Amino acid sequence: MTWVTWRQYRNQGALAAALLAALTVVLLITGLHAAQVWHSALAGCMKHNSCGNLSLSNTAFTTLVAATSAVPLLAGMFWGAPMVAHELETGTNQFAWTQSVTRRHWLAVRTGWLLLAAAVLAGAVSALVTWWMGPDHALNADAFKTNRFDITGIAPVGYAIFAMALGICAGMLLRRTVPALAVTLAGFAGIRELFALWLRLHYMTPVTVYYTLTAPFTPKGSYLAVSQGIVGPNGQPPVGTGNNYVFNGEPIPAVCQTAIQHPASIASCMAAHGYRGYLTYQPASRFWAFQGIETGIFVVLAAVLLGVTFWVLKRRDA
Amino acid sequence: MTPVIETSGLTKRYRRVTALSDCTVSVPEGRISALVGPNGAGKTTLLRLLAGLAAPTAGRAAVLGAAPRQDPAYLAEIGFLAQEIPLYRRLTAQDHIGIGAHLNPRWNGESVRDRLAGLKIPLDRPAGTLSGGQRAQLALALTLAKRPRLLLLDEPLAALDPLARRDFLAALAEAAAGGDLTIVLSSHLIADIERVCDHLILLAGSRVQLCGDTETLLAEHRILAGPRKDTTAIARAHVIVREDTTARQTTLLVRLNGPVIDPAWAVEEPDLEEIVLGYMGQDEAGHGAGHGEARLSAVGEDR
Repeated sequence: MTWVTWRQYRNQGALAAALLAALTVVLLITGLHAAQVWHSALAGCMKHNSCGNLSLSNTAFTTLVAATSAVPLLAGMFWGAPMVAHELETGTNQFAWTQSVTRRHWLAVRTGWLLLAAAVLAGAVSALVTWWMGPDHALNADAFKTNRFDITGIAPVGYAIFAMALGICAGMLLRRTVPALAVTLAGFAGIRELFALWLRLHYMTPVTVYYTLTAPFTPKGSYLAVSQGIVGPNGQPPVGTGNNYVFNGEPIPAVCQTAIQHPASIASCMAAHGYRGYLTYQPASRFWAFQGIETGIFVVLAAVLLGVTFWVLKRRDA
Repeated sequence: MTPVIETSGLTKRYRRVTALSDCTVSVPEGRISALVGPNGAGKTTLLRLLAGLAAPTAGRAAVLGAAPRQDPAYLAEIGFLAQEIPLYRRLTAQDHIGIGAHLNPRWNGESVRDRLAGLKIPLDRPAGTLSGGQRAQLALALTLAKRPRLLLLDEPLAALDPLARRDFLAALAEAAAGGDLTIVLSSHLIADIERVCDHLILLAGSRVQLCGDTETLLAEHRILAGPRKDTTAIARAHVIVREDTTARQTTLLVRLNGPVIDPAWAVEEPDLEEIVLGYMGQDEAGHGAGHGEARLSAVGEDR
């Protein structure tokens, strides 16, 4: 069965390997350049905090790197979704399932190899990107941000396994490649958004820091902001919160209305009247814990989808 | 000796449609059985149930002594060729031989190469680029290379031109010559496969109408033709399968329970096709309303 899987997928495997090799070359060249810029900056302008808008690389390459977030999805759509669906659609499953191998074995072996291939591909791309992003993350401390967290570390491996399982399961249930592709696309994008924008913020109880408005607080390193705002003297947030609360045309506390002529003094006025800023966030030290949790959740989701796939395979006629 | 195939009350329902109902058939070892019936009669369903690709709703099937199941040992005994002749379009014959070699314990890849060489079918071209006849030959060769004890072929001739049909049936007859391979092949036209078959299963309206060795069936049936008259006397002694009446003449297909004595009837031996057509109209009610019947009646009145 391993040989059969290899025979059927070696072209796609070669294509993926070629794309990975091309990406490796591009990222190695541009990444080494960025590292060099970064190191000379560290020795030079960083010491005097005078680097200004230090440019580590061309935006084209930044865009390319951002696009690697699609790797797990593409694997799910073009390896996962057709894996069962294409066989059912063309009837070749009737050939495969009447050789001297059970359907279960057939599905288990090819699922295993394709999951492994997708995980290795996503892992390799993510390792490259993590390295490439190193100087940028050190400079801007944004590794924990949504669109960075998602393309670095081990999370892409979890996404790839999930996308594959989603594709395989959709193909098994829908029995048609194109609908399975569509469901994989929509399902993967939806679930990923749900986690990235909402659920991830709450994997651990966030830390809340209160600070005086005159000395805004920024955590060390790359943090994940959950919420930020202002609380009044009574500890309750005033109406209208947000980063730009004071300067946003929102009601300014009545006591500080007179300060409105001198915007710079509003913060000190509010601070004097007991207003404090707060930041609720996940500190940088939790980055790898969050990577682990996120990966774990997606692997568990994948396991559930594969469980459904095997159950349907057993219960339904070929 | 136990039959290779034995089913009793085998039934398959898909939501509201009953594809096969109460199917009880038996096929002895070494037979080439023609599974015939109009489109939608349940032929494919029966073959898929026997191959273990589908599970019955009710009843049971025994193939080579046990129920069809997902088990390598069982699957190794069965050769199945689906109607659409599914092969991997991008893979060559050589690739298919490789797949078979990796998935089957008794694989005979050499036999496929020999057969394809004999038919001048290239080993190194993607299956999708072969002609329908070549694909069918390749698929049959692959199925035979498993060395199955039971070969299930679903409408293998449907896509073939007359020459390819002849070649295909010749290959089949050759494979069966050893005597320990049992073959069931379906077709909606008995004429196509009459030549190679020595057993017949007739399905119509999802039910079995007829099952037995062709020799026995031929011996049991007669066509009686005579002036238009009351048939109750015949019906008392024999089973009237079908009755066609015109203004002047009555033609009967009967299943005999002894000799026909009344000299008013001209007795003829039917061929297999006439028997099959005679039974084809039989639906659940046992007479009358099937589409096969309607067509046959129209023909009868023209005469």
